[in-house]
Amino acid sequence: MPPSHRFGGEAYNDDPHVEKECKPMLAILIQLLVSGIALGFIYALVGIEYTLVWNSTGLLNFSHDKLITLGAYIFGGTLVLGLGLNSWLSVIIAMIVSGIVGALVASTIFNPLRNMRSTIFAVMGTIMLGRILYEATRLIWGPIPFTVPNWLTGNVIIHDISITKANLYICVVSIVVVACLQTFLTFTKTGKAMRCVAQNKKAAALMGINVSQNICITTGISSIICCIIGMLIIPLFNIDVNMASMIGLKGFSAGVIGGFGYMPGAILGGLIIGIVENLSVAVLPAVYKDVVSFVLLILFLLVRPGGILGKKA
Amino acid sequence: MTKSNITKLAGIVLLSIFMLLVPVFVKNDYYMLVINRLLINIVIVLGLNFITGLTGQMNLGTAGIFALGAYTSALLSKNLGISPWLGMLAAVCMGLLIGVGLGFPSLRIKGVYLSLTTIGFAEVVRLLCANLNDVTGGTQGLRQIPPFSVFGFKFNTQQSVYYLFLVIALIAFFIACRITYSKWGRVFKSLRDNVEAVEMCGVNIASVKIKAFTLAAVFGSIGGSMYAHYMGYMNPSTFNTDLSANFVIMLMVGGIGSVVGNVVGAVIVTALPEVLRFLGTYYQLVFATIIVLGAIFLPNGWGDGIRRLYRWIRKKCVGQKTQEGGAENE
Repeated sequence: MPPSHRFGGEAYNDDPHVEKECKPMLAILIQLLVSGIALGFIYALVGIEYTLVWNSTGLLNFSHDKLITLGAYIFGGTLVLGLGLNSWLSVIIAMIVSGIVGALVASTIFNPLRNMRSTIFAVMGTIMLGRILYEATRLIWGPIPFTVPNWLTGNVIIHDISITKANLYICVVSIVVVACLQTFLTFTKTGKAMRCVAQNKKAAALMGINVSQNICITTGISSIICCIIGMLIIPLFNIDVNMASMIGLKGFSAGVIGGFGYMPGAILGGLIIGIVENLSVAVLPAVYKDVVSFVLLILFLLVRPGGILGKKA
Repeated sequence: MTKSNITKLAGIVLLSIFMLLVPVFVKNDYYMLVINRLLINIVIVLGLNFITGLTGQMNLGTAGIFALGAYTSALLSKNLGISPWLGMLAAVCMGLLIGVGLGFPSLRIKGVYLSLTTIGFAEVVRLLCANLNDVTGGTQGLRQIPPFSVFGFKFNTQQSVYYLFLVIALIAFFIACRITYSKWGRVFKSLRDNVEAVEMCGVNIASVKIKAFTLAAVFGSIGGSMYAHYMGYMNPSTFNTDLSANFVIMLMVGGIGSVVGNVVGAVIVTALPEVLRFLGTYYQLVFATIIVLGAIFLPNGWGDGIRRLYRWIRKKCVGQKTQEGGAENE
């Protein structure tokens, strides 16, 4: 069990009917803040995942939300509910399968299309890939949403603030993923090669790096992160063909707000969007919750186009 | 008159006779619906060509523009009782507003920001249309939108709407041609090919890009207004990301940047799903796969692919002949 569950003085409570009335405003705000931070970490992961692909290919992967959905379906639909495997074994298998899917995507879409006359082909390639994945998931697993029972469920109650375990898992796993990725990029030879390709493809090729193969590896890693996101958001959104479309869009906003193409920027931007969006529920009608990130995006483009951590454009 | 001019003239005459006679031959109402939708699509793609085709900036929010145009026109004419034509004028103003309001923040700086803002914009428009129940009718949709009318004549049959839309599409085609081959069109194209060189010539890149995007938004809004008054009913779920993608596919299939290509692309992409309907639940999957393969193997549009195939076959035949004949060079 992750260490976050061993805070002092908390009580475990799996009862879904937690008392909601007569709560002080502060407690509600803290709950909103916590779920905002958790969602923010999800947006941050989305930001990282597409920034990896952007840096290595110069293309936006518009099929990333469908890759997230695919990860959740492989994990929930086939491995846990279909084959009845152990959850943790399923996590590992789903990640491996997603990595292979990502490498396939790179070799069929990104590598043939990235050097075309216009980037429209590659962008449309990814969008159509998204549609193919969407149709394929709908045909294979059916259009009815479902969920994985007992997967990251339950609440943790500290005094009168109740926090779902899913949110805690999201925070911890995201931090672990970011740390692993950073270690991989800094200390391994492949990771260093990935950073070289991101900086300058020609020079990287001259130094003997196989750029196409490198793009395959990068997209594979990006796809693995997508799969992790998919598995983490199952308790929040259920498994559904459209589960990730909003998250995918907000991940793009996160990148722009933090600093486009810069990984710490994506993390910061994601957290900001998550928190602001969730706190906005306290002030605005809930309908406008999804509009907030877009307004933030436009505001940042007007005031500080380079993002918070990016260089000035 | 030269021979090629006569052939061209004959082609145009034949084409116009064909276009005029379409409603005579097509009796099926559903096919007429598809054809009228095709004419709307043509108008929108002609606009999209300015920003995505000529200038090379990805616009993935055509559905949002389309929706705003449609809702502006429909709500004004339904609630205030003004003529649909004034509604269309209001939609044009809305297009101008979108073009500048969205183009200014995202095109002022270099990068892919336009694709991000437009895709977000389209989604926000769809969400607002679905949730502002009092204004837009929410997910129930908007009913009883009045049809176009001229001096009391109502365009409420498929055939009459066809002729009306044909006229609008032809005007749009003419305007698009004029702009593409004017100074503006040449600047748009040069932006796609070499930004640095254009900047050196003293062109204000940002303002040119915003102009191109505004043109796209205006054409898109006109398309939306046509759609609203033609269908008489609309629902926010129509205006999803798939719709935006479809317009870019039309552009890509026809060959990027060519005005005639846009029309060809619109025809292919509107007709292909109807042709593939026999595949049942698989038709979207097959459609998407065909488009991806097209993008990989026919980067200059499908028309060019057919031309290349024709040339290849002719070369093969001629080549065989020369081999048989012996001493002829190319």
